[in-house]
Amino acid sequence: MDQNNSLPPYAQGLASPQGAMTPGIPIFSPMMPYGTGLTPQPIQNTNSLSLLEEQQRQQQQQAQQQAQQQQQQQQQQQAVAAVQQSTSQQAAPGASGQTPQLFHSQTLTTAPLPGTTPLYPSPVTPMTPITPATPASESSGIVPQLQNIVSTVNLGCKLDLKTIALRARNAEYNPKRFAAVIMRIREPRTTALIFSSGKMVCTGAKSEEQSRLAARKYARVVQKLGFPAKFLDFKIQNMVGSCDVKFPIRLEGLVLTHQQFSSYEPELFPGLIYRMIKPRIVLLIFVSGKVVLTGAKVRAEIYEAFENIYPILKGFRKTT
Amino acid sequence: MASTSRLDALPRVMCPNHPDAILVEDYRAGDMICPECGLVVGNRVIDVGSEWRTFSNDNATKDPSRVGDSQNPLLSDGDLSTMIGKGTGAASFDEFGNSKYQNRRTMSSSDRAMMNAFKEITTMADRINLLRNIVDRTNNLFKQVYEQKSLKGRANDAIASACLYIACRQEGVPRTFKEICAVSRISKKEIGRFFKLILKALETSVDLITTGDFMSRFCSNLCLPKQAQMAATHIAHKVVGLDLVPERSLISVVAAAIYMASQASAEKRTQKEIGDIAGVADVTIRQSYRLIYPRAPDLFPTDFKFDTPVDKLPQL
Repeated sequence: MDQNNSLPPYAQGLASPQGAMTPGIPIFSPMMPYGTGLTPQPIQNTNSLSLLEEQQRQQQQQAQQQAQQQQQQQQQQQAVAAVQQSTSQQAAPGASGQTPQLFHSQTLTTAPLPGTTPLYPSPVTPMTPITPATPASESSGIVPQLQNIVSTVNLGCKLDLKTIALRARNAEYNPKRFAAVIMRIREPRTTALIFSSGKMVCTGAKSEEQSRLAARKYARVVQKLGFPAKFLDFKIQNMVGSCDVKFPIRLEGLVLTHQQFSSYEPELFPGLIYRMIKPRIVLLIFVSGKVVLTGAKVRAEIYEAFENIYPILKGFRKTT
Repeated sequence: MASTSRLDALPRVMCPNHPDAILVEDYRAGDMICPECGLVVGNRVIDVGSEWRTFSNDNATKDPSRVGDSQNPLLSDGDLSTMIGKGTGAASFDEFGNSKYQNRRTMSSSDRAMMNAFKEITTMADRINLLRNIVDRTNNLFKQVYEQKSLKGRANDAIASACLYIACRQEGVPRTFKEICAVSRISKKEIGRFFKLILKALETSVDLITTGDFMSRFCSNLCLPKQAQMAATHIAHKVVGLDLVPERSLISVVAAAIYMASQASAEKRTQKEIGDIAGVADVTIRQSYRLIYPRAPDLFPTDFKFDTPVDKLPQL
């Protein structure tokens, strides 16, 4: 199977047998079944903080994913249902608008072959009683855009915040106000809170890879200042996405029918706060049709939550 | 002479010959007498009425009642403890003039915080003249929250204020958060936070507010005539129905409707006055008014007598 040959030797154990839907190396794509880990697992133990290595590793992953995608494309050509085709045309432009920034892959910028499904398996919407039921054939053409990612990492050594604040550029430290150094970098535009225990919080990135890259940059800065910084336990804690359903929504109707999930107090906050149980996401829904989704640990949760809420919102569309 | 008391609910005492007869209570002897046959059914029944009547203008230390206040079993778990009163004879005072037995304080330590909160709730409700049924409902809500212990350790005042807000809403006469803020020391943000927490803890929900709930209160505070009030109610109802102001809070819509109605009638009110009563900034009233002004002729009720015609309404 040429799929196995294209994989680097260290990943042989992870390679899936031919035709399997779950890839050995996680493909990053919007409508993955929830649970396929999307934070890239470090296949080699990259604890060195060289950015060049980081970028090389990312490109390696992209190359592997490209090979996987091509393989899947051929396999899924046979498995395409007529229903999928109609949705794939809608979803593919959205998806290909989304994916290039992550993969930098060349195959996606060319138009997808007509009649192929996009490069991901069919959207799996769990039909639990708690989740609002979604007809499998409909899907909105809208993909929520990620606005903010909050991640944490442990640098593994105690830090002296005063030296960091004095010697680093773009660092502020006011111990009376807050016990951490606030450092900012321009590319990717992020802010980091660096604590004296060696733990760091990185906020403001627009994608998972950017957040990881930014965290590595901060760790590199700390390392250059003379501390034996490592890069342990990088974890994304929160992801915020937003989108627009393009029609006004009747929030009063929504709060009447979904009382156990929604909270709408116009005196306190103009938006309706919808706490979805599965996946555990909080959505802020506004009269104008804008929706903010937050509380996700992986990107698929945001997409799944939006796919769940979209038919409900369509039902409460304002008719005037 | 004899007082009648309804004993239908109590299955215990009834005349054996006339089970339907309502027994007559002779309080002097403590007897229950059947009026049909004259049989004395109960003998030496203890009267549970109060022993003394105390008036508010009496001297507080002269209260001769030996049983204390009426029981409040719904709220305080039945306060059955007793107190030792102040001594009167010479033997009860030691050499310096202090009374020897001083233990009058620790009554119901477990419910002390709750009793304190009830006092606070009553004080807050008095300030805005809330009815007894709302205060009772607030007390009940507070007791439920207190017993649940999920919000234990939080400021009881904040919980009390939020319970007051919820009680007003549940009774169908909602008060705005700002009105509750005015009588409480807690900020609006805190009351809002606790409001959500309590709804979650008690697993209840409240209805949405409507514009009509506030009209009568705001209009009478502004001393507007009845016609203007009815017009304002009609305008607000139409505005919400036509959804002319979707993004503004309902209170701002109410304020703008009152402004339009008052400007069209003989009793004109300025935006500032309405803003003070409703708790809305006057720029907000201006913004909402601008949105409803284009449809002004449709909003007024058909039988409204215009003191200022529709086209002469102020345009801001």
